[in-house]
Amino acid sequence: MTKGVFQGPLLRVNDYLWRIPRSYKPGMRVDGLIYADDYLIEQIRNDQAPEQVANVAFLPGIQYASLAMPDIHWGYGFCIGGVCATDPEEGGVISPGGVGYDINCGVRLVRSNLHLRDVQPHLKTLIEELFRQVPTGVGRTGKYHFDRHELRKLLAEGPRALKERGLVTDADLEHTEARGKLEGADPDLVSDRALERGSEQCGTLGSGNHFLEVQVVDDVFDEEAARVMGLEKDMVCVMIHSGSRGLGYQVCDDALHMLRNVPQKYGIELPDRQLACAPVNSPEGQRYIGAMRAAANFAWCNRQLLMWQAREVFSTVFGKPWQELQMNLVYDVCHNIAKFEEHSIGGKRRKVWVHRKGATRAFPPGHPEVPACYREIGQPVIIPGDMGRASWVLVGQAGSMEQTFGTTCHGAGRALSRTAAVQASKGRRIDQELASRGIVARARSWKGLAEEQPEAYKDVDHVVEVVHQAGISRKVARLRPIGVIKG
Amino acid sequence: MFEVFEHTADVGLRIRAADLNTLFAEAGRALFSLIVENLDAVRPATEVTFHLQGQDLEYLLFDWLNELLYCFETQHLVFSQFKVDVTPTGLAAVARGERFDPARHQPDHEVKAITYHGLRVKQEEHGWLAEVIVDI
Repeated sequence: MTKGVFQGPLLRVNDYLWRIPRSYKPGMRVDGLIYADDYLIEQIRNDQAPEQVANVAFLPGIQYASLAMPDIHWGYGFCIGGVCATDPEEGGVISPGGVGYDINCGVRLVRSNLHLRDVQPHLKTLIEELFRQVPTGVGRTGKYHFDRHELRKLLAEGPRALKERGLVTDADLEHTEARGKLEGADPDLVSDRALERGSEQCGTLGSGNHFLEVQVVDDVFDEEAARVMGLEKDMVCVMIHSGSRGLGYQVCDDALHMLRNVPQKYGIELPDRQLACAPVNSPEGQRYIGAMRAAANFAWCNRQLLMWQAREVFSTVFGKPWQELQMNLVYDVCHNIAKFEEHSIGGKRRKVWVHRKGATRAFPPGHPEVPACYREIGQPVIIPGDMGRASWVLVGQAGSMEQTFGTTCHGAGRALSRTAAVQASKGRRIDQELASRGIVARARSWKGLAEEQPEAYKDVDHVVEVVHQAGISRKVARLRPIGVIKG
Repeated sequence: MFEVFEHTADVGLRIRAADLNTLFAEAGRALFSLIVENLDAVRPATEVTFHLQGQDLEYLLFDWLNELLYCFETQHLVFSQFKVDVTPTGLAAVARGERFDPARHQPDHEVKAITYHGLRVKQEEHGWLAEVIVDI
């Protein structure tokens, strides 16, 4: 397994779309389609991600195309930034690899009524306090403890189960994708191992690309949508990126173990073991779906508790209750998930399993699943960039339903491997470099910071421009980081 | 011996050894070298024994690394010394280490999972080679 340039065909469809024809490999059931401009496609060619787009096209029951967003990069099995939809009525499969280990990894954005001038004098204290209070990094456990009974409740119900402890509000639930609960979650299908890994980790950030950032609204592109979300220029926000922690990783691992011989059992031929899958309408498929949904609900609880801790820290540092600081959740989106959704395919309404592996739902204005307060503007989409440049808020557009099963990008996408990023940071102090740009960064591991340095990522502005121009989501506001904590 | 190889989002481990037992032992060290930066500071104060079933060497390597990761995640144990006996039906192993102590152990990566992507164990002319990509 070595890194290599993709040698297969990438045919231009238009300025923002490229096609890998199904004739590229025998076994592909549909074309591959990659959203990118001339600049990004050259980067995308540089690794095996397009090959993975082609491999996903082998999955039984796949509809329309194996899709990839402009932040696509090389994953395992599925590429990161990949989207596919399978129809159970046509023998469609569910694939844990199409969701990823970090089930319901996602992002939430919290606004406040503080402006840059209010926060600047306290920034160092604020970040230090966040770093002290919010558990980050390897081997750190959370301050919230749940016994088995409570944990199972979180898995079945998501953050609404935190109501008894007063750790969630109705508005928080309203502003969370799927209101923080996937129906059909079955805690009985989650292994003891997964429960054990999860019991201490709810409300912890983790490491890798997960972060908590204090950001400032840098630029507003859609005044009306920004107003509806409560965002304005120079306003301070908090962005949180984390997922289902060890619990979700274990659910995925258990599923891949269960599926080791399942593709053969159902006569499914796959080009990569990591694409292991089972028909949706099979006992194995149903087992994974029930457990995956439970892990997704757990992830929403995790982000809820991370947000709650951030609210508490702001409250301490600024001497006011978080309600008075109006630290309201703007929205929470998942970007590693499979959901059973209705889409129009070839002129017919059909229910399909949409796999989003490093891709974000982007439902347009008027869609019934968009919360009432956002129905006019479209679903908010939160796009984390890198810790030195920017992150974005977008809204879903009608084009997403026509082109991408209601989906857009999820981030900047990596440009450098972790090893290359560490190599490039030799003799440098990433935290000091960020400080010179006005960003206070704290991390448990210097290498973690080096691997996540801004230069390790593609330019998120560029990625966002592609999804904006392609009409699958629209730019609302650009945020820039002023403080970051990491594992 | 082991080395880290390039993978865009994650980290690949390439392990080479003269025999299978050493290969599996080195794979254990490779995994923990990702979790703790100064693995040599991990003292062999406690030991855990493992017995795994399986005939497919690739799956066996996967299961072995997975067990070690699970031990770290749930008991917070980090290991620096391994003795592995690979048999035709599985493996028996002893791992020595201690409880993770952030004061002495420099944390490095959180390994989310061992993956099957590009997983391989094979015999070469002068010994054994294994490759595994872990999710970070």
